[in-house]
Amino acid sequence: MTQTEPVAKKTAAKKTVAAKAKTESAVKKKKSGLAFPFTAIVGQEEMKLSLILNIIDPRIGGVLVMGHRGTGKSTTVRALAEVLPFIERVAGDTYNRTVEQYLEGEEGKKGGKPIDPATLKVEQIPVPVVDLPLGATEDRVCGTIDIEQALTSGVKAFEPGLLAQANRGFLYIDEVNLLDDHLVDVLLDVAASGKNVVEREGISIRHPARFVLVGSGNPEEGELRPQLLDRFGLHARIITILDIEKRVSIVKLRREFDDDPDAFMDKYNKEQQKLQKKIQTAKDLLSKVTMTDEVLTDIARLCMNLGIDGHRGELTITRTAHAHAAYKGETVVTMQHVKEIAGLCLRHRLRKDPLETLDAGEKIDRELAKILGEAEAV
Amino acid sequence: MIAFTDIVGMDLAKQALMLLAVDSELGGVVIPSAVGSGKSTLARAFADILPESTPFVELPLNVTEDRLIGGVDLEATLATGLRVVQHGVLSKAHRGVLYVDSLSLLDSSAVSHIMDAMSRGEVLVEREGLSEVHPAKFMLVGTYDPSDGEVRMGLLDRIGIIVPFTAQNDYRARKQIVKMVLGTRDAEDTRDELNMLAGFINAAKEQLPHVSITDDQIRALIQTAISLGVEGNRVDIFTVRAAIASAALAQRSDVDEEDMKQAIKLVLIPRATRMPEKEAESNEAPPQEEPPQQEEPEVEDQDAPSDTPDAEAEEEQKETPDMIEELMMEAIEMELPDNILNISLASKKKATTGSRGEALNNKRGRFVRSQPGDMRSGKVALIPTLISAAPWQETRRRDSKMAGRPKTALLITKDDVKIKRFRDKSGTLFIFMVDASGSMALNRMRQAKGAVASLLQNAYVHRDQVALISFRGKQAQVLLPPSQSVDRAKRELDVLPTGGGTPLASALYLGWETAKQARTKGITQVMFVLITDGRGNIGLQATFDPTAEKATKEELEKEVEALSLSIQADGVAAIVIDTQMNYLSRGEAPKLAQKLGGRYFYLPNAKAEQIVEAALSF
Repeated sequence: MTQTEPVAKKTAAKKTVAAKAKTESAVKKKKSGLAFPFTAIVGQEEMKLSLILNIIDPRIGGVLVMGHRGTGKSTTVRALAEVLPFIERVAGDTYNRTVEQYLEGEEGKKGGKPIDPATLKVEQIPVPVVDLPLGATEDRVCGTIDIEQALTSGVKAFEPGLLAQANRGFLYIDEVNLLDDHLVDVLLDVAASGKNVVEREGISIRHPARFVLVGSGNPEEGELRPQLLDRFGLHARIITILDIEKRVSIVKLRREFDDDPDAFMDKYNKEQQKLQKKIQTAKDLLSKVTMTDEVLTDIARLCMNLGIDGHRGELTITRTAHAHAAYKGETVVTMQHVKEIAGLCLRHRLRKDPLETLDAGEKIDRELAKILGEAEAV
Repeated sequence: MIAFTDIVGMDLAKQALMLLAVDSELGGVVIPSAVGSGKSTLARAFADILPESTPFVELPLNVTEDRLIGGVDLEATLATGLRVVQHGVLSKAHRGVLYVDSLSLLDSSAVSHIMDAMSRGEVLVEREGLSEVHPAKFMLVGTYDPSDGEVRMGLLDRIGIIVPFTAQNDYRARKQIVKMVLGTRDAEDTRDELNMLAGFINAAKEQLPHVSITDDQIRALIQTAISLGVEGNRVDIFTVRAAIASAALAQRSDVDEEDMKQAIKLVLIPRATRMPEKEAESNEAPPQEEPPQQEEPEVEDQDAPSDTPDAEAEEEQKETPDMIEELMMEAIEMELPDNILNISLASKKKATTGSRGEALNNKRGRFVRSQPGDMRSGKVALIPTLISAAPWQETRRRDSKMAGRPKTALLITKDDVKIKRFRDKSGTLFIFMVDASGSMALNRMRQAKGAVASLLQNAYVHRDQVALISFRGKQAQVLLPPSQSVDRAKRELDVLPTGGGTPLASALYLGWETAKQARTKGITQVMFVLITDGRGNIGLQATFDPTAEKATKEELEKEVEALSLSIQADGVAAIVIDTQMNYLSRGEAPKLAQKLGGRYFYLPNAKAEQIVEAALSF
């Protein structure tokens, strides 16, 4: 958190007065929103694991968290920011680009001169988590021409939007099933290409926008558009905790936090750091994790038996299983790893049958058991 | 203006507001109540018992997104050349009260924004080149008439207290309010009483941090939430808070069982989705069929604390957790018998058309905001288009001059074009009415379920909704209220009883009411899909009065005809699907279709897809 403030100030200095006020409010936001610590969240392991695996390997493709009201969906996602590792970017770059991406982007511009990489400063920032509120307008999501600069100095300057801020980070949409159709279109477009293109007033801006999409919602309030559903790598489900002791401890922890947030944060500081370190270690380990052809075959067979179209299912399982192994500190993916994450990866990819009474999770488990049984028998 | 202390009756609602005044973290109070019960008077009088400078903002029902969350003040921005920010209603209510009258009529996007602000305590403004965070921590006080429809569950989940709906109470309060308005009251008395109450609440606020609650008490409250089938875990925190606030009001430092009962009554019971296990069987049947005998004579909410548990409590101060649970069950049972049918969330009430609903009806397809878009894809919003073009005139004129183009008065490009966006829900509501009587019922039900699910799968594109009404025995029943959710449909349609008489008129009546309610929420078109052989044999009378004499064939026909004509006059489309493999058909189904001004389909062994096709083809 402290790391971001000097950065914010630096960019603010370059902008006009009003823009400065804007940045200040952004800083204020960070301070006021003292989030409940991730490690103090009781239960909801499926959602927590999905989020962590996405940090370890962002290529998994995000997570959709659907479930009952009042079960801590948004609390958990917002708590995530505190345990995220750091990334390196060109100092002050609004698009969070690496040196490489920065050079590619800036030199590609019309009349762009070659830039000496040695002159570029880099800085470490926590992986950004950007909140996309339901009422956001398209120009703020994609970015637009700075109206103020245009009015005062007649200069057409691009003002980056939320997609720019979310590059290389997380983009979180609460109540994603209620998102306006035209914003869903924008997201689908950008998610598919990894690039955001804005053309207005004769200028054309293209910047990288790769992010882990995290959505949450309550399925009873509306369905998610199938194309968007398909975009999410994982689908975690969350239900009301029925264990009384767990619920008692949730109430007590929450009360403790509300009474004195700072003291509460201090108490969990150690745990938070431990988790952050564990995630970083897993990230480092990921490239060393391997998978045997047998496991890969079993994954393919599982997807085939479940009648899943396309190859995104297999791909997601494979990546997620690698990340899961890394998180456990292991370097070889086993079917046990696969078993633990298969539901998350496939639940939303099964073809929907209106009259099917069997739960998607049960169906996946049944097929898995068959394959595991076969594998053991051979 | 009537003062808080002058309002007589509605004691439970008053207690609820006092708890909120003591602990604003309870999030808010919702008061469901019939028209003219004085609920809005009471809600507005809430300001009386809050510290003087507390903001009290009333949210207009037709609020636009801009006004709600804030944005750029375009006029001022254009005039000054600097970006001028306008705070929205949500942020204006910061540290105060946001009051919504007719909460259930608020449109869904406004509800989403309120929910979002409540869960964050602030509003994220990401609009029109603006990126700001405005603090918006407010208490939501909402009143509504349940006959206008229900409040979205997601919103209720963020509001701590829901006052149980009691019709008798309303009537009484209303009478007393009338008296109050007519009678004269000494202004000085009122002021003194208000001052006293304010002092009382202040003292409670100071007491609040010193109140403690035991783990066993927390456990008992949670156990109660679980046995009432309340969804989510957030409610636990509200229940505990309410109990503590209640103790603080009584200047106690420990939560006692009265406090717990109060919390159960105001937080948990209104959210109950089922009866506690013990009672489950006796209450499952509709009340008409089983006269309530085991219940005590009505216990009014006026004096909630009851005598029996009190006496017991005094006898034994240190209860074991089991004892507490038992007491909780007692509190629930005392509360439930007269209220269970009125519990807004768990029941489906009959609707009556309110004048308000009609008024909103005229605004159907209301313009909500403008958004960038293709000129051909919608209506152009002229003013927003001009406003968005205005700032660029200077630079464009320059560019245009350099390019040697002829001079024009106004330079508008396609990027400027804003099109109008209308209210979200404008799809069709399909109301399936399925004859669940007789031997073919199971089959028809299966077809209808398939059709409902299949329609919902495609509903997203068209913003359509589906409802399902089954009719059998004495009356029709809404199995699935208008919904877009496949999940919900599946859950609600899992177990369906079949067999018995055919209350066709009751089904038509219920369908009509459902249609009227949906219209107040922006649904423009309603279509009935009746799956039946059209042979009704139970009259409307029997629905309301089980002892009524059996209606004659003529009476039955007349009833159905009258209803059908009204429904047709109301602009509801209808199709009748006859799936009966019956060579002796007496032609009732085609006749019904004719009365409704709809179409008749004869589809023996119809597949779900065929039904959907028929419904969509119309």
